[in-house]
Amino acid sequence: MPDLNRVVAGLSCRDVLKVLSEYVDGELPAETVARVRAHLQECDHCERFGGTFGSLVSRLRGGATAAGDLDPDARRKLAERMRAEWMREGRE
Amino acid sequence: MGRHDAAVHRFLASLNASPDEAEDALQECFVGAWRGAATYRGGESARGWLFAIARNALRRHHRRRVGEPEDLVSLEELGERAGWGTTDDALGSIEARETLMWVLDQLGEEEREVIVLRDVEGFSGEETADILGLGVAAMKSRLHRARLRLMAALRERERRDHA
Repeated sequence: MPDLNRVVAGLSCRDVLKVLSEYVDGELPAETVARVRAHLQECDHCERFGGTFGSLVSRLRGGATAAGDLDPDARRKLAERMRAEWMREGRE
Repeated sequence: MGRHDAAVHRFLASLNASPDEAEDALQECFVGAWRGAATYRGGESARGWLFAIARNALRRHHRRRVGEPEDLVSLEELGERAGWGTTDDALGSIEARETLMWVLDQLGEEEREVIVLRDVEGFSGEETADILGLGVAAMKSRLHRARLRLMAALRERERRDHA
């Protein structure tokens, strides 16, 4: 297994691993982004891993796991419950 | 209601709720929102407010498992399990919706809910932290670990499928 302490472009692989989510989410300061980018350009391990990690997050965000509309039966029951609640409020 | 009911139901179902629990919690959520509308603080996202009510409603039905082990695995170990340092090809199963859903189901409840809120439902970091009752830093840490675990679970599944 390669060494996570290896420093490339001023950052260790461990440092990059630690901030990968913030990098993918665009939540890092510009200066850190530039350093992570420089590391990724020179480190095959982090470049490969970061690419797959980013693809996974994109896939999740792209609706990969989103289901369709609410089941009509569940929606009907919800509407009935809300109607009953509305009627109850009106009586009080 | 119609704008959010499917997403709230999907979120509840992702938290290991049985179909009946999810329906009950969905109803309690909207009834609770109706009753508590006066307490809604206009500045926060109404959608996030609904998700937080739904989460609390489900928790009343579906008590958190007690004695669940603390997450003691280091970030480095999680990274290696997720494939850092290997020369394998990229995960092909990322593209397979069924596999991704199956693997998401294998995560613990806290990991699954943070991924569903932030990535699947698209809440901002601040909104996700609010719904979960966490600080933003704690939410980010949980999210990062959850994504690494999801990636590790995908690798494990691929390894088994190709064995």
